Amino acid sequence: MIEYRNIHKAFDLPVLSGIDMCVETGEMFALFGSSGTGKSVLLKTTIGLVAPDIGDVEVDGISVYRGGREAVQTVRKKVGYVFQHSALFDSLNVFDNVTMGVPEDVLACMSRKESAAKVWAALELVNLEPREILSKIPSELSGGMKKRVGIARAIIGRPEILLWDEPTTGLDPINTAAVERLIQRLSNELQVTSLLVTHDVEGGLVMCDRVAMLDSGTLRFCGTPDEFRACPDPVVQAFVNRAAAEAALDMASESYD
Amino acid sequence: MNNQSPGSLLFSNPITEWFAGAGRTTRTTLEHAGGLGLLFWQIVLAMARLKVSLRSILNQMYIMGIQSLPIVLVTGSLAGIVTSQQGGYQMTSAMPSYVLGSLVVETVVLEMGPVLTALVLVGRIGARITAELGTMVVSEQIDAFRSLGRDPVEILAAPRVIAGVLVLPLLVGIADVIGIFAGVAAANITADLSSEAFFYGARLFWHSWDLVYSLTKAVIFGLTIPLISVHMGLKTKGGAEGVGITTTQAVMFMTLTILILDAMFPPLMLN
Repeated sequence: MIEYRNIHKAFDLPVLSGIDMCVETGEMFALFGSSGTGKSVLLKTTIGLVAPDIGDVEVDGISVYRGGREAVQTVRKKVGYVFQHSALFDSLNVFDNVTMGVPEDVLACMSRKESAAKVWAALELVNLEPREILSKIPSELSGGMKKRVGIARAIIGRPEILLWDEPTTGLDPINTAAVERLIQRLSNELQVTSLLVTHDVEGGLVMCDRVAMLDSGTLRFCGTPDEFRACPDPVVQAFVNRAAAEAALDMASESYD
Repeated sequence: MNNQSPGSLLFSNPITEWFAGAGRTTRTTLEHAGGLGLLFWQIVLAMARLKVSLRSILNQMYIMGIQSLPIVLVTGSLAGIVTSQQGGYQMTSAMPSYVLGSLVVETVVLEMGPVLTALVLVGRIGARITAELGTMVVSEQIDAFRSLGRDPVEILAAPRVIAGVLVLPLLVGIADVIGIFAGVAAANITADLSSEAFFYGARLFWHSWDLVYSLTKAVIFGLTIPLISVHMGLKTKGGAEGVGITTTQAVMFMTLTILILDAMFPPLMLN
């Protein structure tokens, strides 16, 4: 379970203002919101990549910001993080990139053959052909392949929680659908808790057990996909359907004029 | 009627603006000093815990050392040639010509070898490290290291700094030697000074301490360049523009630091 307690964060201007949110164990949870509303920042606070100015995050009862370095390391071992632009290491080939996902202490006890088998299995799990790409470097891969290698790196350590930061951004519709199916399949097969930050509202509503929406650094909505669709809040509705979004845009431009 | 806010009135005053600017500069300087100190301490800890990969150190030594060798050879040679020519031009008949040997050797070993090599490495290695790490920051690769439980200081910073400390004395040693021999050749051509006379003059004023001085400078510069470049690289903000700005700032910072340190050496080690 991930609990966000009164998270405040500002970079010159406030980004997050008092976020209280909880993601239950085994749940698939989507976080929506316009660009710049702090979704990725909130995700990064989960494993101590961005420290909140005020507030704390607890992962399975471990306080990320009160437990010190050990607590952060313990939480990071539990969590697999899929970055928005894959964040593969440029200078390493696919094999070494994915191997980096195995915790250091586990890797130290493994032979090269064992680690190779683990990398192979992780790549197959994300529908990549290991033989073809193991020795390639990230610049030789397509966008979709990079995403999958990033996912393989996140899941190879068998995490209990997966954090997905806009995993379908920049992909064509076919690759978007493929990655969404992959997210759903992996979350079920690996029985992990998933927190998904996405702009793909339809995909998120179909895949997830619960959804939340951030707006101007505050939590605007938290509930089930059905409740989200039925929510009368115009900001939420603007995310649900195109017509509402157009209306909101018209209203904004009128008030601007 | 004055519509300015109290804040804008406060900062429209040139005196308060000056103080505000001085305050910002002081804060930035202290932040960098603290950041550099912390980074150095983290590298020492990583070394003490034997967490630094030998393979990475050797790889960085290759990049910094072998790949920098051509430019260091050219710089060292030119330093020797220019010193020899300038010295020969300024020599008067009242002074024995073999003094030129001493002048060239002392200038190259004490000053030109270490400083020019360091400045060349600021451009070749320092800028490269800052840009590389800065790009890793903006493309979230550093965050990826952390998310995977890996410490970027152990993986990226420590090998570069250790390699710098080990490689720069070797490069300076090579620059010193090549500079002296280039100086001999230039003295021979332009001042008609034989190599025997050149080395006779060089030996007359030579102290073994000069070599210690030269290599100590090299070690300090070898620590300074990668330490500042790694620190600046890891502090990069923004996208491609941020990488460019940080790299420029890092080169300025390293160049100034090298020159300031160079000015601090004589009172500390030569008096």
